Amino acid sequence: MADSSTKDFTKEKKIYTAVAIALFTATFVALAIGKIEFFDLGAPGPGAMDLFIGLGLAGFKASLVALIFMHLNHEKGLIYKTLFFTVIFFAGMMALTLFAEFDPIREQYDTIKTTGGKLLETELYRD
Amino acid sequence: MQIPYEVSPRRDTGLFNSKLGVWLFLASEVMLFGGLFSAYVFLRVGIRDGVDTPWPWGIDVHGKYVFAGFINTLVLILSSVWVVFAWVALKERNWRKFQLYMFGVVGCAAFFMCVKALEYNSKLTKHHGIKLTDNAVLEGKIVNGTSMLDFEATEVSVNLLGGIPAIIRDLDSDAVFTVEWKGGTVELKGPGQVRSWFLRARREARRGLVKERKRYRNELKSDPATAQPVSVTTSATLVAAEPVAIRPGGRIMASYSDTSVSYRDGTTVTGTLQRDGIEFELHQINMQLVMLQSQRDSMAWEVIGDESVKDQFFAEQDKAYKKLRKHYGEKPVPEHMLRSHIINLHDVHLGDHGDHDGKKDHDDSHAGLEVHDSTVREAAGGGGGKGETIVIPREKVRFFGSHGPRYGNYYAIYFTITALHGLHVVGGAIVLLYFAVFGRKLFLKNPEHLANRVEVGGLFWHFVDLIWIFLFPLFYLL
Repeated sequence: MADSSTKDFTKEKKIYTAVAIALFTATFVALAIGKIEFFDLGAPGPGAMDLFIGLGLAGFKASLVALIFMHLNHEKGLIYKTLFFTVIFFAGMMALTLFAEFDPIREQYDTIKTTGGKLLETELYRD
Repeated sequence: MQIPYEVSPRRDTGLFNSKLGVWLFLASEVMLFGGLFSAYVFLRVGIRDGVDTPWPWGIDVHGKYVFAGFINTLVLILSSVWVVFAWVALKERNWRKFQLYMFGVVGCAAFFMCVKALEYNSKLTKHHGIKLTDNAVLEGKIVNGTSMLDFEATEVSVNLLGGIPAIIRDLDSDAVFTVEWKGGTVELKGPGQVRSWFLRARREARRGLVKERKRYRNELKSDPATAQPVSVTTSATLVAAEPVAIRPGGRIMASYSDTSVSYRDGTTVTGTLQRDGIEFELHQINMQLVMLQSQRDSMAWEVIGDESVKDQFFAEQDKAYKKLRKHYGEKPVPEHMLRSHIINLHDVHLGDHGDHDGKKDHDDSHAGLEVHDSTVREAAGGGGGKGETIVIPREKVRFFGSHGPRYGNYYAIYFTITALHGLHVVGGAIVLLYFAVFGRKLFLKNPEHLANRVEVGGLFWHFVDLIWIFLFPLFYLL
């Protein structure tokens, strides 16, 4: 049964292609930042800055997928209201990990002091 | 009766039914994966340096798995793009194009799962870690099935009231046993006959136990002074005609000695221990759980028995420390860096005596890690030792296993999240394949309805892609 009420999707297809290229590029960038030492900001290994960049890139990619591919940039209000509560609950779960950091029952383990580059005795200390 | 609002939107919500439904479902999925990501954060932040199995952070630690994760990311992004183009093709009423894109999406899903299967296989069967009793960890591969013992059994004592003994699975088809049962001698050949006999004997023992208990209760009622306690034969001993080779190990084994093996199900095997050493192809040494000042005296060097390996390790450690020292300048190197894999995890090669130039390096201005041996050998690169193995005495082993969920918190949460994500990929692919294969009828009847269904299926697929977009950096890059 032919349906004659089809619209032209040329513009949408161009947008989807552009988003696809952006997603691939961001993936390559994330890998390059991880692999190339020059881009390792701060101390060697994943520090706060690396975390920020890595998750920032992931967030950027996720936003493109959610807004463009999942059509969230022009959805109905009821969907946004549903997702609002989802975001609150998700933020709450992540916040639990922060609360754990303020747990007064903590114990520090052996620590190694370095003085003049030579390794010395260990020290056990408690909060 | 036609279900309303499958195509046209409801006036109150402005949406067709399945769209609202799938968004509510996705909201619940966000809670599910949110809980798991929250668990990831807890586990990672809660690692106690020097105590817990170290978290393998940083891209270098994951080696070739990063490439697998990277390919999977690209494949899932491609599938996400194709699913939206499939929906557009439906909106343009182009059935052929829609099918091609959909089959492409399902193909991507299959490719993703194949790469994931290879990754899981590698982690679960090709990489092992052995933690020695002083907490030094040797990374490599256990070869020749030596995670199990080699034992020759002459007698097997089974518990007649328990489950089917695990040893039965281990028996060869030509293993012959005799057992005293019901006043006679029974000969049993092969695991099949042993199993059948066991099931009969267990049934008899359980019936006997019920009868004895009944007798005892009756005697207690009539004359407690003369009541005889319950007496039932609860075990039987199978004697091997010739010593039977078995390979006990893993979690079914409770303990062993030179002359016996005890299983957790109550079976005891008597015989002779042939071999208990673990043959190991050594690739890396991880000293993160050994204090820096104790590393040179670690039992790992005695177990490995190759001085060149020790030289390689400490040469790499010195190099790594000098790099850190250069980065931190006058400030002390933080503890977590000194305990990290940067200082304590290095590739080594057995039998690789490398390029010794015998150069003395006693330059205190570098303020390097204390080097007790005044001769520092250049760490040899490549060559030699591949495939060579060492045999590790089991009494020196605290724990060993593949890089599966038991290995550490990272692996536990990694397998949990990626396996659950994989199930979502499979489920989503099945639904999309259904549309591609069986959707023609609906396409001809009501193409907008099919387009809506595909849109809703696509929303789930994009969500699956979203999860992976966060998984990849968290598990492979950071």
